[in-house]
Amino acid sequence: MILEFPWLTAILLFPLVAALPIPFLPGKDAKPVRLYTLCAGLLEFALIIYTFWKHYDLSASGFQLVENYAWIPQIGLHWSLAVDGLSMPLVILSGLVTTLAIFASWKIDNKPRLFYALMLAMYSAQIGVFLAQDMLLFFFMWELELVPVYLLIATWGGQRKLYAATKFILYTAIGSIFILLAALAMAFYGGNVTFDMAQLGLKDYSLPFEIALYSALLIAFGVKLPIFPLHTWLPDAHSEAPAPVSMILAGVLLKMAGYALIRFNLEMLPHAHILFAPMLAILGVVNIVYASLTAFAQTNLKRRLAYSSIAHMGFVLIGIASFTELGLSGAMLQMISHGLIASALFFLSGVAYDRTHTLMMDKMGGMAKPMPTLFALFTAGSMASLALPGMSGFIGEIAVFLGFTTSDAYSTTFKAVVVLLSAIGVILSPIYLLSIDSFTRLVLETERCQSPRSIHCIVFIDSYHWYRSISQTGHANLR
Amino acid sequence: MDFANLAAQLNAGTILPEGIVIITLLTVLLGDLIAGRAASRWTPYFAIGGLLSAIVALYFQWNNPTPNGFLGGFNADDLSIVFRGIVALSASVTLLLSVRYVEQSGTPLGEFIVILLTATLGGMFLSGADELVMVFVSLETLSIASYLLTGYMKRDPRSNEAALKYLLIGAASSAIFLYGVSLLYGLSGGETRLSQITTNLLANNANESIGVVIALVFVIAGIAFKIAAVPFHQWTPDVYEGSPTPVVAFLSVGSKAAGFALAIRLLVNAFPMVSEQWHFVMTALALLSMVLGNVVALAQGSMKRMLAYSSIGQAGFVMIGLIIGTDAGYASMVFYLMVYLFMNLGGFACVILFTLRTGTDEITEYSGLYQKDPLLTLCLSICLLSLGGIPPLAGFFGKIYLFWAGWQAGAYWLVLIGLLTSVVSIYYYIRVVKMMVVKEPEEMSEAVKNYPAISWTAFGMRPLQVGLIVCLVATSLAGILSNPLFNLANNSVTGTPLLQSSVIQPARPVMLQSSKTLDEASVLEAHL
Repeated sequence: MILEFPWLTAILLFPLVAALPIPFLPGKDAKPVRLYTLCAGLLEFALIIYTFWKHYDLSASGFQLVENYAWIPQIGLHWSLAVDGLSMPLVILSGLVTTLAIFASWKIDNKPRLFYALMLAMYSAQIGVFLAQDMLLFFFMWELELVPVYLLIATWGGQRKLYAATKFILYTAIGSIFILLAALAMAFYGGNVTFDMAQLGLKDYSLPFEIALYSALLIAFGVKLPIFPLHTWLPDAHSEAPAPVSMILAGVLLKMAGYALIRFNLEMLPHAHILFAPMLAILGVVNIVYASLTAFAQTNLKRRLAYSSIAHMGFVLIGIASFTELGLSGAMLQMISHGLIASALFFLSGVAYDRTHTLMMDKMGGMAKPMPTLFALFTAGSMASLALPGMSGFIGEIAVFLGFTTSDAYSTTFKAVVVLLSAIGVILSPIYLLSIDSFTRLVLETERCQSPRSIHCIVFIDSYHWYRSISQTGHANLR
Repeated sequence: MDFANLAAQLNAGTILPEGIVIITLLTVLLGDLIAGRAASRWTPYFAIGGLLSAIVALYFQWNNPTPNGFLGGFNADDLSIVFRGIVALSASVTLLLSVRYVEQSGTPLGEFIVILLTATLGGMFLSGADELVMVFVSLETLSIASYLLTGYMKRDPRSNEAALKYLLIGAASSAIFLYGVSLLYGLSGGETRLSQITTNLLANNANESIGVVIALVFVIAGIAFKIAAVPFHQWTPDVYEGSPTPVVAFLSVGSKAAGFALAIRLLVNAFPMVSEQWHFVMTALALLSMVLGNVVALAQGSMKRMLAYSSIGQAGFVMIGLIIGTDAGYASMVFYLMVYLFMNLGGFACVILFTLRTGTDEITEYSGLYQKDPLLTLCLSICLLSLGGIPPLAGFFGKIYLFWAGWQAGAYWLVLIGLLTSVVSIYYYIRVVKMMVVKEPEEMSEAVKNYPAISWTAFGMRPLQVGLIVCLVATSLAGILSNPLFNLANNSVTGTPLLQSSVIQPARPVMLQSSKTLDEASVLEAHL
């Protein structure tokens, strides 16, 4: 039944297959492995682009490039892959971010073979999550990503790496129990046993059953997204992970949950979604406000970025809860743009850490003088992150807001409160992202010590505007 | 009774594989006797060859139209073939692992092989035993050989301690089992054939008797001892810690598989009238085993003790399949035992190799092993992660199938507890992986710092390497390419008349939706 080349299978398996010869590569140091992995990553990305360029019809809706082979028919597990408008951009995003993360891990000299093999394994798993159209296969891919991430954090992470990695794996493993439970419950519901997601969506679940399924999946994906009370693993994992892994964690892994929420909760359980949507909106607001406020208190640069990720995922939740096409598109856009922005910011924080050997913001700083490029990039990244008009963060957030306000599923008061509160979060984000205080102080220190190279300080964030005004203050103070 | 009729009644061809094992055993014994220590050059390979040809012989017995042999004493149905295959295969892999270990400990290899083959023989007969006397004799063959094996390191006091403990508890449990069997014998009016016991009990109006329940309790005690289910597990950690590691590998796989075969045959065949009771007891045992085995494993410092508790937990998972009692349930048991064979033996192969090179099995001593021995680290990580049920390894598929079958039969709580405890198990398995991989060179343990140069040339190292690689490859690929294994497991269940008649039993408490799920199963089959 193979009518044409199985492009999606090729995309999915290529990194995994490429990871296999890594132990046998010649050479003592990291260089050959690094080059090999980079080539594999680039090839994979090129393959993704080529496949979607040539074989994906942008104007058509519904699933394309469908592949369906029985893998283990005894339990109804099918190797069933397809892409649609929901998953296609996310596949490209994970290809891009992971390939860039391989670039960003140029400095990894400790156990390079293991590192790059795990990166490639993770590459496959992420793409598998977005492509799988069989719920058991989805679970398989979801779990496949677990151990590589654990090892990547635990081996190459910061000082509290073991704590962070263990917390990550416990949270995620317990969360994923619920995926399997929901999958089994859905598959055995009604007459026919199937894990095919299209058929599961067509089944007519009774409302209490649907609510139970919805809650189970909400917990599973809520851990990963993360949603407010289940988020505590994320700041630890993101801040302790090495920069390239943080890039993937923030850039791709969070989107797996957002994608799954749309794919399962919204598409397959629409009746329960109507009941749960107000809760999602409220949780989204809580995410935004709570994470923005908490971000203030963080002195660790990566922790602050991690909390900003949580806040940004709040917009995705509101978008999912909006019942409008615009809101949903906003949620998608927000995921893509956050994927790019967050990975850029984490990458830059990794660069900064490389040079300053600290992530504490009161110790770094000194800003643009020693590293103007980094500073400029950081500025651009945080501008995008705080949703400056014209940058990608803006369009996502505005679409979510517009979608939510035009939604006719909620009362005006409710909409007003949600939008108002999340608007507060939007206002908070520039403040914590620009964090003027430490910035000014550090400018002064740099100027005083006269030797920027020895200190190697950088300032991590700011707009040109802030930079000018503050450096003026700094000069004023010096005088 | 003329000769032809007698021969047909005996149907001795059913035990051809066992015959091959006996001949192998005798040859090894004689060879060892005649050639002395020089024989140890070829005896292990000869024994492995014998076991593998027994497996080939088993293959040709598949779907035997006349499975009953020895006047109904032995039943060579498909289920028994699968279990005998598992026992024989685990023994042959154990042999691969043990050559170097026994050699290094300075004890004679020939005797070890002979005792191990005897245990294998007991296990194989037990898997097919269809009569009470046969059950007891083969059970004792397996048990006594196991006691001898645990105490095989004569100069090691811990091995002696383990053997004594195992012997005392084992003998007590055998006595209890025998008492239960004797009650059954009496109540059924002197019937020993398992398949006839129910009919006779009904004929004697003894099916309501409290005696049957007492017999059941005693029999379950004996079985639970063999499969190390909580609360009959107390011997496991001590025996596992003290015994020679290859023996532990065999006990945890081969002996356990034989115990499960006995459980299926005895409980399903002889106790259908108290099915509610035995399902209740087994559910309790399974829950306790999963929870206690996996939780206590968290606190273990010794690798062998951890694997002991993990094997208790794993037995709990397998019992899910027995309890639900559907086609898929039995098939998932068989499938899980097949993948468990490779991943557990692979894990033990790594422990053996590490012990041979460093002389310790403390988990903390594995710190930083990645730098010194990447192959061992990879193999142990793969096997442990597979035991924890991480995709794409074989254990993931085994667990999925068990939980799938459990859910199909409506045993939701068992599945939920199974899932929760497997998350717990991931934690302690990954702890070992973390020790090996994550630790930096400066955090290396003393044992790893003094790690000898890797060499496979010493006598008995090659077989160990082969065993290691076989387990590694099987654990990595048996999941992804598991279709043939699934078919084998399913066919062994559907091809066994005993199970086919039991599957259509009346509703049982754990099978809340039995009639519905059967419909679903048939619908599924129709779809496929």
